[in-house]
Amino acid sequence: MGTLGRVILLQGLVKRYGASLALDGVSLEVARGECVFLVGASGCGKTTTLKTVNRLVEPDAGRVMVGGRDVRESIPHELRRRIGYAFQQVGLFPHLTVAENVGITPALLGWERPRIDARVDELLERMELAPGSFRARLPHELSGGQAQRVGLARALAAEPELLLLDEPFGALDPTTRGRLQQDFQRLRGELGLTVLFVSHDMAEALLLADRIAVMDAGRVVQLGTPRELLAAPADARVAALLETLRRQNARVDELLGASA
Amino acid sequence: MNDALAELPRLALAHLQLSLAGLALALALSLPLGVAASRRPRRGAAALGAASVVQTIPSLALLAIMVPLLAQIGFLPAWIALTLYAALPILRNTVAGIAGVPPALREAACGVGMTPAQQLRRVELPLALPVIVAGVRTAAVWTVGTATLSTPVGAASLGNLIFSGLQTRNEASVVVGCVAAALLALGLDQTIGQLERGVRERSPARRRVAAALLCAVVAFAGGAFAWDRLAPARAPIRIGAKPFTEQYVLGELLAAFLEHETGRPAVTLRNLGSTVLFDALESGEIDAYVDYSGTLWATILGREGAPPARAEVLAEVARALESRGVHVAAALGFENTYALALRRDRAEALGVRRIGDLVPHAASLEIGGDYEWFQRAEWRALVAGYGLAFRATRTMDPTLMYAAVAGGDVDVIAAYSSDGRIAAYELAVLEDDRGVIPPYDAVVLTGPALAARAPDAVEALGRLAGAIDGAAMRRMNLAVDRDGRSPRDVARAFLGDGV
Repeated sequence: MGTLGRVILLQGLVKRYGASLALDGVSLEVARGECVFLVGASGCGKTTTLKTVNRLVEPDAGRVMVGGRDVRESIPHELRRRIGYAFQQVGLFPHLTVAENVGITPALLGWERPRIDARVDELLERMELAPGSFRARLPHELSGGQAQRVGLARALAAEPELLLLDEPFGALDPTTRGRLQQDFQRLRGELGLTVLFVSHDMAEALLLADRIAVMDAGRVVQLGTPRELLAAPADARVAALLETLRRQNARVDELLGASA
Repeated sequence: MNDALAELPRLALAHLQLSLAGLALALALSLPLGVAASRRPRRGAAALGAASVVQTIPSLALLAIMVPLLAQIGFLPAWIALTLYAALPILRNTVAGIAGVPPALREAACGVGMTPAQQLRRVELPLALPVIVAGVRTAAVWTVGTATLSTPVGAASLGNLIFSGLQTRNEASVVVGCVAAALLALGLDQTIGQLERGVRERSPARRRVAAALLCAVVAFAGGAFAWDRLAPARAPIRIGAKPFTEQYVLGELLAAFLEHETGRPAVTLRNLGSTVLFDALESGEIDAYVDYSGTLWATILGREGAPPARAEVLAEVARALESRGVHVAAALGFENTYALALRRDRAEALGVRRIGDLVPHAASLEIGGDYEWFQRAEWRALVAGYGLAFRATRTMDPTLMYAAVAGGDVDVIAAYSSDGRIAAYELAVLEDDRGVIPPYDAVVLTGPALAARAPDAVEALGRLAGAIDGAAMRRMNLAVDRDGRSPRDVARAFLGDGV
């Protein structure tokens, strides 16, 4: 993989919070157009790893390169305007309309008003939120799924090439979640996005990821394609994650077969 | 009632100016401080602590302490005190409001690429706004309420109606002052509330109306203030008065007399303390007031021991004051001395006619006096000169003093000899047989500022020499205290048939 093809490069990241070690030597590369998942149990360091990329977390040691440049050389808010970011709590600004929420980063970048409006409408349509009825709504007038879509639209608004997603479909009912996952897959293909995706859901990772990094106790314990992971889990922890999933699926199949 | 209503517009405007100025300065200080405090929690805790300490000082004391601290009376000390008082709720709510912004929104604000300043302006402050506005509304109500207490430091406010009404038993005036202050507080509170609601609900109409209303009020109050301050030539002659009936009457009398004789406008500032008044006269914040030779002798000149005869005291005081730029324009022709008084039947039962007769009984008697009395040189002279040792002393409002002795709550009071209530309550005045209390000729004092600005006014006041005798003064005092007439009416009636 050449330097140009590498959008994210993490090298030997260490982060301490008091006595506890959140990151214990994390290294990872994400290629252009690739979707890499960080999976693992709560507290394994996956969110912390993600946040080092847009400097929401500053590592104590190690290096973070984005687009071939050390992030420490860029001004944090300028870096963040180039990187889309969506997270589980969504964090839509309650005092701003849907359109204002989606258009915030373009506005910060100083886009002209008509260009922002056009971009907002385009994204709302992509998210299947009719602009006519959704533009002027306030966040409290949205359902959970609609809010997550608006959050995703906000992350995409300034046409970033890199997207950081932290459980963006978390806390949703399975139907909505499934639809959003499909929408995401389609969008990614259309826009050619590079994505770093945090999830605790192994099924989601197997469905959407090009490669998966399984984390435990601040370390990457296995990195590979979904097929590689399924074929050869690196250790008992990875095997356990996959085994749980297999057992659930087998049980569901059994029930489906019985009722057919 | 009519008198109170006539004064209402001027006092309500002054009250509004004072309250808005205090609120505006408090806002200008507390808002940035609150933001800074929310960035640095330790510094924030210190600022909140300091503001809380200020809050524990009784408001009247906070206002009063500003006079010696700033060495002046009037608008400035009241303004500073009100600002300090209003600062805490705004500061506390700013800190609380910003702290209450959910962490997810901070993260989102950061994540979409806002600079720290943008996070504050676009997310933290708008979300904290309802809490901050609640603090401003609390501060507004407090400030309007507390501003009524600025009367004793010489800043005009609706408190003038309340203090004077209490003093002259004019309940209508008290009610007018209280109701007006309450309406002012409510109105300001509601206007700010509507403005905030307009912003929050994105209702441009509501926002515009409330903002326009607030702007109009601020512009009117500020404009009137600037108009008064920037043109000293237009500024009226300011007559001071201590907090009792006779002083109100004399203040109104001097003002009406000056307006009639010189055509210059004159206003009265009531309810100021003796030494505050003298300092204010020296520094030119008031132009004239009536004081008493004995008070000047003891309090301002600091003389102790037995005073000389009446004429000598007067001459000596006039000479001493002249060297400080204060001119004795006229001796009005009557005395108002401190005098020990008790119920006539009680005096007869005890067999006392002179203060000397009181000495053997003092150990079983309680004495009441006004706010100043027990700190005054005359009280010390009385105690030392006669060897008086009362069972207890009690400080009380001069209004209540006469009723208290008549009702038996205290046994003896330090009364004012020209007070009509001595006769009204059937009190006996004890003779000062050892001549310890100095004579108290009522004298009109004028300050250096008036001499420079309006020598004709000083000259006109000179024509009041000997114009009021003791009987006339007692009649006027009684007309206010017993008959419930306003000091202004009484003064004008006297001038109408007297001078």
